[in-house]
Amino acid sequence: MAALLRGLRAGRLLRGLPSVVAAPASTNQQCSSLRRSFHCAALRLQDESKSDKSSASSSSSSSSSTTHHEHYQAHSSHQDTEAASQQDPDPNSSDREQDEEYETEEQLQAQILAAALEFVPLHGWSMEAIAAGAESLGLSSASTGMFPNGSGDLVLHFISQCNSKLTEILAEQHNQVQLGQAERKKTADFLRDAVETRLRMCIPYIETWPQALSILLLPHNIPDSLKHLSTMVDDIWYYAGDRSTDMNWYTKRAVLTGLYNTTELVMLQDSSPDFKDTWAFLDNRIQDVVNMATTAKQMQSTGEAVAQGLMGAAVTLKNLTGLNQKR
Amino acid sequence: MWLNCRLLSLPKIAGYPWKVAGSLQTSSRAYSVIPPPRDREEEEMMHRMLRVDHAGEYGANRIYAGQMAVLGRSRTGPLIQQMWDQEKKHLAKFNEILAENRVRPTALLPLWNLAGFALGASTALLGKEGAMACTVAVEESISEHYNSQIRALMESDPERYTELLQMIKEFRDDEMDHHDTGLEHDAESLPGYWLLKNAIQLGCKAAIYVSQRV
Repeated sequence: MAALLRGLRAGRLLRGLPSVVAAPASTNQQCSSLRRSFHCAALRLQDESKSDKSSASSSSSSSSSTTHHEHYQAHSSHQDTEAASQQDPDPNSSDREQDEEYETEEQLQAQILAAALEFVPLHGWSMEAIAAGAESLGLSSASTGMFPNGSGDLVLHFISQCNSKLTEILAEQHNQVQLGQAERKKTADFLRDAVETRLRMCIPYIETWPQALSILLLPHNIPDSLKHLSTMVDDIWYYAGDRSTDMNWYTKRAVLTGLYNTTELVMLQDSSPDFKDTWAFLDNRIQDVVNMATTAKQMQSTGEAVAQGLMGAAVTLKNLTGLNQKR
Repeated sequence: MWLNCRLLSLPKIAGYPWKVAGSLQTSSRAYSVIPPPRDREEEEMMHRMLRVDHAGEYGANRIYAGQMAVLGRSRTGPLIQQMWDQEKKHLAKFNEILAENRVRPTALLPLWNLAGFALGASTALLGKEGAMACTVAVEESISEHYNSQIRALMESDPERYTELLQMIKEFRDDEMDHHDTGLEHDAESLPGYWLLKNAIQLGCKAAIYVSQRV
C-alpha cells in the first residue's frame, strides 16, 4: 500500500514536473535528457520501494521530496543530468526505449499488463503473472504495487483489448461495405461472425479462462466487467445496423448478451477440434432467436388483423342497431 | 399543406432567417446537430439531455394519441391532429439524433407510453376543455424544460452548440404555440383547472427527473 502511494506520488510528480520545469526555455536535448532522468528516478523509486517495504508515510514523503529536489537540480545543470544518467542501474538503451514508450502512469500500467499476458498460461491470472511481466520489461517486480486489484486489472485489461480489436475489425468491415467492396451481411450472420471473432480471441487463454471468469464475478469487478460487456454488445449491434430508439434497443442487447455468455460457457468445456461444437451451438441459438423474432412479428400482425376484424364487427353491429348516428 | 401553414406562421418568428426555419422542417436528413464530444463528461451530459428530450417528445406523442382516441371525431379533432403531427416531427428528429449518436433511450418508454395515453384519454373524457387544459399544462412544462436546457447550453458554450440550440429553440417555440392554442380554446374554463394543471405539471417534473437518470 505504501509502495502504491509512493508510485502514485512519483507518477503525479512526473506528470506535473515537465510542465513546471519546461517553462524556462530549454532545448530539445535538455528536455529528452530531463525525461531520461525522470525515468531513472522513477525506476530508482520502485527499486527503493522493493528494499524499503516497511517504511512509514513520512519517509515516503521525504523520498518524494528528495526526488523533487533531484529533478530541480537536474534542471539547473547539464552535468547533473549526465551524472544522474550515469548512475542509473539500467543500461542506457532500454532507458531510451522506455523514454519513447510511455509518458503517463496509465501507459506504464498498460505496458506491464500487456507483458504480463504472456505469463498467464504459466501463472494464471494473478499477481505472479504481473510481477513476471514487470520483470520482463526490466522493471522491479514491486511494480505490482501499482495494481491493488491485480488479477482483476489483468483480466479487465485483456478484455478491453479484445473488445477494441473487435471494434476495429467491425469498423473495417463496415467501411468495406460502405465503399461497396463487400456485401452487407444478414443480421444473423453478422452476429454469428462477430461473436465467433470475439470468442476466438480467448482461445490462447482457454485453459485459464474459467479462472478469469470467476475473477470477473467478484463483487468489486462486476461493475467494470458489466460495463465492458455492455459496450461490446452495443458496438456489435451498432455495426449490425441497429438504430432502434425504443424498447427494441434493450431487448436486442439483452438477447445478444445472453447469446454471448452462453456460448462462452459452452466454449469452456468444448474439446472438439477448433471448437466446432461451440460454433454449432452458436448457430443453433442464433437460429432460435431468428425464429422467435419471426414468430413475434407474425403474432403481432395476426393480432392486428384480429383487432381490425373485431372493430369491423363492432361497427357493423352498431350500424345495424342504429347506435352509430352522429348527433 | 403543412408547409403553407409554416410559411404563414413565419412572421411570428421574424427573427429567424428563412432557410433555417425551412430546413429543419423539410429535410429529414440527419446533419450533425450534436458536436463530437470532447470527453466522457460532455458525452454523458449530452446523452442525458437527449434521452430526456426524446422521452418528453415520446410522451407528448402518446398524450395527443390518447386525446385523439377520444375526441378524434369531434370538432376539436383536426386541431388536435395538427398539434399531434408537429409532435410526430419532433419525435422523428429526436429518433434520428439518438440513432446517429448512439444514445441509449430511456428504459421507462413503455411506462411513458401507457401513462401518456392514459393522461390524454382521461383528460379528453372531460371534454374539449379538459384536453386543452392538459395540453396547456404539458406544453408549459416542456417549454420550461427546454428553456432550462437552452440556458445550460448557453452558459457552457453557445458557439459549440449552435445547431443544437437552434433546434431546441425551434421546438420550444412550437410547444409555446401549442400552449397558446390550448389557452385560446378555453382551457381555463374547465372547472378545477388549477388543480388539474398543477397535478399534471408535477407529474411532468417527476417524469423529467426520472428519465434523466434511468
